[in-house]
Amino acid sequence: MRLQARNRARAVIPTASMADIVFLLIIFFILTFNLEVDKARVMLPKSNLRTEVPKRAAVVSITENGQMRVSDGESASTAVSGPEDVLSFATGVIAGDPNKEFILKADRNVAYKNVDRVLDTLKQARVPVVYLLSDQETVEGAGGGG
Amino acid sequence: MRFDRRKVSEEIPTSSMADITFLLIIFFMVTSTFAATRGLDFALPKEDRNPPLIEKEDAVLITIRPGGAIEMDNKPTPFEGIHAYLKPRLEKNQTKPVIIRPEPNAAYGDMVRVYDLLRQIKLLEGKLVVREDVEPITDERWNGAKELNISIPTQREIDQFWY
Repeated sequence: MRLQARNRARAVIPTASMADIVFLLIIFFILTFNLEVDKARVMLPKSNLRTEVPKRAAVVSITENGQMRVSDGESASTAVSGPEDVLSFATGVIAGDPNKEFILKADRNVAYKNVDRVLDTLKQARVPVVYLLSDQETVEGAGGGG
Repeated sequence: MRFDRRKVSEEIPTSSMADITFLLIIFFMVTSTFAATRGLDFALPKEDRNPPLIEKEDAVLITIRPGGAIEMDNKPTPFEGIHAYLKPRLEKNQTKPVIIRPEPNAAYGDMVRVYDLLRQIKLLEGKLVVREDVEPITDERWNGAKELNISIPTQREIDQFWY
């Protein structure tokens, strides 16, 4: 048969460089890795001044209807019924690590009294610093929306 | 010696490597988030049983009403007018506290907006300025400028310590 006489083409996809590319991607994702501990959907307030929040900080989230969730920054967030539960949660976290930072992830439209009570419980639990999670403020009219 | 003389491939088998690494990539993509990793830091004052008593008259009081209207010492002021209102008062008395007092039904976003603005204002050589006013300026010099004495008392503190 003629086929056998032909010079055999190697039926292999060259995958040597694939590993390089894929490892590069992995390293990128590892560096930017940030486990999302709280999946509550909120419309964050906007601010010009934004600093990087520390990793593994505890999270308290408040949705627009006042529903609160807490997470110690390691495990997924759990719903709590009100500020009293936030206090016992925060006290427990601070007992384990007195310098633990907290992140407040609250909806921009939530009534301030809800935020006020959470801040108050965090103060009582002797939390040193709270990060108010925010989105980047955009220039007026440049289509920030939200 | 008893070598196995069967032909051994000289290549490192890399075909499964791609599978493994793609699996890892997908894991990191799904579990990682890019948004919402930045915010305003807000140092909570130490819980103090006998805080220094601040008379209302000794501070600038910023009230935020539901709907976002702002009052400076009970005088309605536009958002853009906050800096101008603070300027003469804080330049005269540089340690004068600024108290943000959102009403219970005011939106949290409005409080953050005001707090964000106040955090950008600093006292540099006795002048109340934002960074754009004094450009060009080194980061070092700007970071060394005095920040405002901002306080956001909670309702409980107000009930407890104010009148």
